[in-house]
Amino acid sequence: MDSWLLTLIIISPLVGAALLLLPRRGSDATIRWAALGISLITAVLTVLAIAAFYADPPTASGDGFTLKAYVPWIGAELRDSSGLDISGNSPNIDIAYSVGIDGISVWLLALTAFLMPLAILGSFTAIRTRVREYYILLLLLHMAMLGVFCARDLLLFYVFFEFTLVPLYFLIGIWGGPQRRYAANKFFIFTLAGSVLTFAGVVFLAYYAYTVRGDLTLNLWTLTEMGKNGEIPFNVQWWLFLAFAAGFAIKVPFFPVHTWLPLAHTEAPTAGSVILAGVLLKLGTYGFCRLSIPILPEAAFHLAPVVAVLAIIGIIYAALAAWVQEDVKKLVAYSSVSHLGFCMLGLFSLKVAGVSGAVIYMVNHGLSTGALFLVIGCIYERYHTRSIYEIGGLARQMPWVAFFLIFFTLSSIGLPGLNGFIGEFLVLLGTATSATTTDMKAAGPLGYGYVIPAALGIILGAVYMLWMCQRVLFGPLKEPAGTPDTSTGLTKDLTPREIGFLVPIALVCIFLGVYPKPVLDSFEGAITQNILHASAEATVTQSDETQLEQLTAAAEGTPLNPPLVRGEARTAPLDHGVAESGDARVAADTPRGSNESGASEALWRAGP
Amino acid sequence: MDVDTLKILGVVILLAPLTGAILAGALGPKLKGNTHWVSILGVGTAFAAAICVFIHVSGVETGSVSALVPIYEWIANGTDTVFNVELLIDPLTSVMLLVVTGISLLVVIYSRDYMRDHGNPERGYERFFSFLALFVFAMCALVLGGNFLLLYLGWEAVGLCSYLLIGFYYQKPSAAAAAKKAFLVNRVGDFGFGLGILMIYLTFGSIQYEAVFDAVRVAVASGDPILQTKITIIALLLLCGACGKSAQLPLHVWLPDAMEGPSPVSALIHAATMVTAGIFMIARCGAIFAASPVAMTVVAVIGAVTALFAATIALVQTDMKRILAYSTISQLGYMFLGIGVYAADSAIFHLYTHAFFKALLFLGAGSVMHAMGGIIDVRQFGGLRKVLPWTFLTFLIGSLTLAGFPLLSGFWSKDEIIHHAFSEHWILGGIGLVTAVLTAFYTSRMFCLAFLGKERIPEGVHAHESGKWMLLPLFILAIGSIFAGLAGTGLTGKCFHGFLEPVFADTFATAGAHGAEAAGHAGEAAAHAAEAAGHAADAGFLAAYGLLILSAALAIIGILAAYFVYVRNQWFAGVMKNTAPGVYDTLLNKYYLDELYDETLVQPAKMGGKVCVGLDDYLIDGLVWIVTAVPRALAYLVRGLQAGKLQGYAVSMVAGMAILALWVFWS
Repeated sequence: MDSWLLTLIIISPLVGAALLLLPRRGSDATIRWAALGISLITAVLTVLAIAAFYADPPTASGDGFTLKAYVPWIGAELRDSSGLDISGNSPNIDIAYSVGIDGISVWLLALTAFLMPLAILGSFTAIRTRVREYYILLLLLHMAMLGVFCARDLLLFYVFFEFTLVPLYFLIGIWGGPQRRYAANKFFIFTLAGSVLTFAGVVFLAYYAYTVRGDLTLNLWTLTEMGKNGEIPFNVQWWLFLAFAAGFAIKVPFFPVHTWLPLAHTEAPTAGSVILAGVLLKLGTYGFCRLSIPILPEAAFHLAPVVAVLAIIGIIYAALAAWVQEDVKKLVAYSSVSHLGFCMLGLFSLKVAGVSGAVIYMVNHGLSTGALFLVIGCIYERYHTRSIYEIGGLARQMPWVAFFLIFFTLSSIGLPGLNGFIGEFLVLLGTATSATTTDMKAAGPLGYGYVIPAALGIILGAVYMLWMCQRVLFGPLKEPAGTPDTSTGLTKDLTPREIGFLVPIALVCIFLGVYPKPVLDSFEGAITQNILHASAEATVTQSDETQLEQLTAAAEGTPLNPPLVRGEARTAPLDHGVAESGDARVAADTPRGSNESGASEALWRAGP
Repeated sequence: MDVDTLKILGVVILLAPLTGAILAGALGPKLKGNTHWVSILGVGTAFAAAICVFIHVSGVETGSVSALVPIYEWIANGTDTVFNVELLIDPLTSVMLLVVTGISLLVVIYSRDYMRDHGNPERGYERFFSFLALFVFAMCALVLGGNFLLLYLGWEAVGLCSYLLIGFYYQKPSAAAAAKKAFLVNRVGDFGFGLGILMIYLTFGSIQYEAVFDAVRVAVASGDPILQTKITIIALLLLCGACGKSAQLPLHVWLPDAMEGPSPVSALIHAATMVTAGIFMIARCGAIFAASPVAMTVVAVIGAVTALFAATIALVQTDMKRILAYSTISQLGYMFLGIGVYAADSAIFHLYTHAFFKALLFLGAGSVMHAMGGIIDVRQFGGLRKVLPWTFLTFLIGSLTLAGFPLLSGFWSKDEIIHHAFSEHWILGGIGLVTAVLTAFYTSRMFCLAFLGKERIPEGVHAHESGKWMLLPLFILAIGSIFAGLAGTGLTGKCFHGFLEPVFADTFATAGAHGAEAAGHAGEAAAHAAEAAGHAADAGFLAAYGLLILSAALAIIGILAAYFVYVRNQWFAGVMKNTAPGVYDTLLNKYYLDELYDETLVQPAKMGGKVCVGLDDYLIDGLVWIVTAVPRALAYLVRGLQAGKLQGYAVSMVAGMAILALWVFWS
């Protein structure tokens, strides 16, 4: 039941980029509008994909993905059209062009497709040189990002993941600010250094899968199954986790490997910053979410406290650093580091609430930070400065800018009723309740103690963002000489085009804040099936003590956790979850760690 | 109760001001000077709906007086967590709604004239009315919310609105700073509040009021010490939020600065919205607080200390609005004290009377400011009774009520709290009485300086009485200040308290037990235990009236003392100032708390930020540089070998071949 919709989505920007090459004499305006049109087509296709996702939701019994497509890629000659081995040879290679979306990736896909047209629209007046190349690179970047969120094969994932570097390197290096070369190099080398280790991990994982299963596979589903069944021993998981983390943590960017981001953000052109903050950083957290946690559940569980502590240090560290920035873009960049710390914290609570909080946090952060960069871009185009000390009191001059800047600031600092709050709340809730064992789910690695310092980050978040608003918008008017620059057809306040790309984001922010249910609902199945499937099993031993406590408490008649009253509709997935974790427990009881993995380890040492 | 009707009413109360806010913002540029109608309509509709809710709730003859009205599923996260948007409507809610929407409506009406002259040149007028309506929406959401998450929503939203309105004159750096300060200090409180909510969820598995309170009751009944400790921690965390919102020590610093906003905003913040939120929250969570004697003591002590502390500062301030701001902090302290001594109904009663006279005073101060061309420092004007006759009259009523003049509304409610405080501990009651004297003194001082004595008007100011849009709310509030207190007196059979009684059943039950215990210590166990069963320990008839007379006398003494010093013998004020300059300066500088916070919290944090940036730039990037330096050094070493010189290549080729040949022959 292949569906080519996702493939169409992925290649549409590529085709568009090729089209942009064709009319060598097309004017800049034509190219701009063409690029916008192409990205809009992609967006429409994505809407279709979302509709298809809802029309044909992943079933509980399957692998949780829908709109799947599978074409053997490497080792194709050894297989028939259904992917079955026909050669009889060993090793069997299963590396394929395999795409599909589940309840998590569909929204990240949507975020990407939504932000790109707005980023393109935001570049209309800002980019005046090498226009054609600029939009071609943006579209190539678009393709790569879409590809990452659709990929279901680890190699495909990695190819897209790495490919994002190339267009962005040029975008920063050519159209960036005064320090663009240095920034682009630093960005490229930092991220590449990490991804190389990730690639080593990928190769090793494929090889390990071969030693266990006799298949040299990079099929994400197979690998997830291996994680689920505990076919990877703990020490292997541990090293693989570190290898994956090397690439993903830098991408997140995770303290202490975040120093490339402030510079890259500062120097990148507006659209580059928007895409970087909006989507590219999510590739890191998405990687953790899609690979590290499901494939390496035990390592994830054991390293979660370390990750969480680093995340919390990052939250506070980056918030403090943001406070003393005088460059607006740098300030927002540091805020990203701080916010993504929350995201990581939620992910590694290894609880449904925390993970869905983290995923919606990714979407929300993409929206609000992307929008903040767009607003700052609007200011920069007029005043040619990003220094907080050179501008001030703009609210009087630019009421629209004031409105949007305050709006997105509020969204970013988690005002309830706007989108940011939902993620923040769920992340903290997931972290706080991580150690409890409600609803037959095993205990997670974190607990209430982690919430307290993290919540400090919420105060600090308000501190630096409001400080920035105060300096930029309020007080007496302060403008550098010769500004605002209206030579490119801009007006003092925002033009309709600029309002046009900010309003959609604002509307989505309100919608997600007021009614996030449709999005959150789709997470649950994906998380229990594809992300946290194995953590219950992995943590059974850890949770025994806590469970004992619970049981004694229950025996004494103390209602520690009185169950919530829920509607009938909610009980079905609950039952399923219980059944599944029950299965996992049975699996855990069998002596998996000793025999099988011991044998496989021996095999690995001996070589094929 | 009829849930469907309540649902419609509740939604109307929420949506009417919100729609008003959105329309005022959207249509403002077209409506310009008529924007106030949109807000008046929105808030007015909410007020009307609030009256309907009140009638509905008070009309309940039998059965439960509280109803949980579900609206829709808000944050639903799979099987683990479901959080609804739901409204809780009970007597407490309906009283709060009346206060909030009623006072706000008057403030909106008042602003119609006031903001003509005090709005910003561009779009100020529309912006103001839009924010005002939004403020009312936020506060209604806070009051109506049926679970802690919605409470948090309203909580943050009023913080936002206060930010927008305090910073209304954003071009004034002090206003922008005050707005930010208000938001951030509140955020510090919210830090505790949010953690408290998470802890509630963690402990009880729900955040819906009723479910949580029931679980608390079960926990109390079980007597589990661990749960008991958890409840105390929860109560203290929630208290942290209440201290921020209701401007109690040590988080009170934002409120005095908040008067940088336009005067109607101050009236709104001080009387109807914002600061009442903390009191409301603690009253709403009575079950949690009552379950923890420690938390109750802390609440009472914070309240008493804040009441006294703020009153002393108010003695020496010269800015009318600032004096009023400190008086608000002090009065809120009374309310905290009331809740802390198991008299939540008295605290809400004081909240209700306070709303009238504090709104009256702030709007009156606004009227003075309006007449004085924006000057509000009592050193620069005086003797305004002839110039502003109506403002004078209404302000007089407001001042007397605040001072606790007998038979006015403030007198009843304040006396009740002091009375309950005495039954808990004599020190608390004593502080209440001392504060009452101080309140009478500083209020009268302000009044005397502004309205009595020789007429002094700043140069170039055309002093004039305000128009009818501004005077009408003043009259209504003045009438309210005089008579509102009757609802809680014996004259009306304490109908106010009777109405609220079902809400505070927990508090009273605990108070009963508590009172009995206290009475036992005093050796009057028998007499008290009998009374305590029904209501909070109600002392004897004579004791009650004795206190009533005492506090009336103290209020009059305070008023006369101020009159004596500031009208009759003004030289005496200078004597007081000079006898203890250290004390005077300390009070004038608000005990230097702002400076203390800046030195101990803000600056170190900023330093921390600089350290972090330094670490980024030098340590982390330095390490990265070292890592990259290794290949760079290697490259530097071998670079010479590929310099493009043919001779060099030839030599190395020969050398290589020689080594190869050697190696081959050798082996």
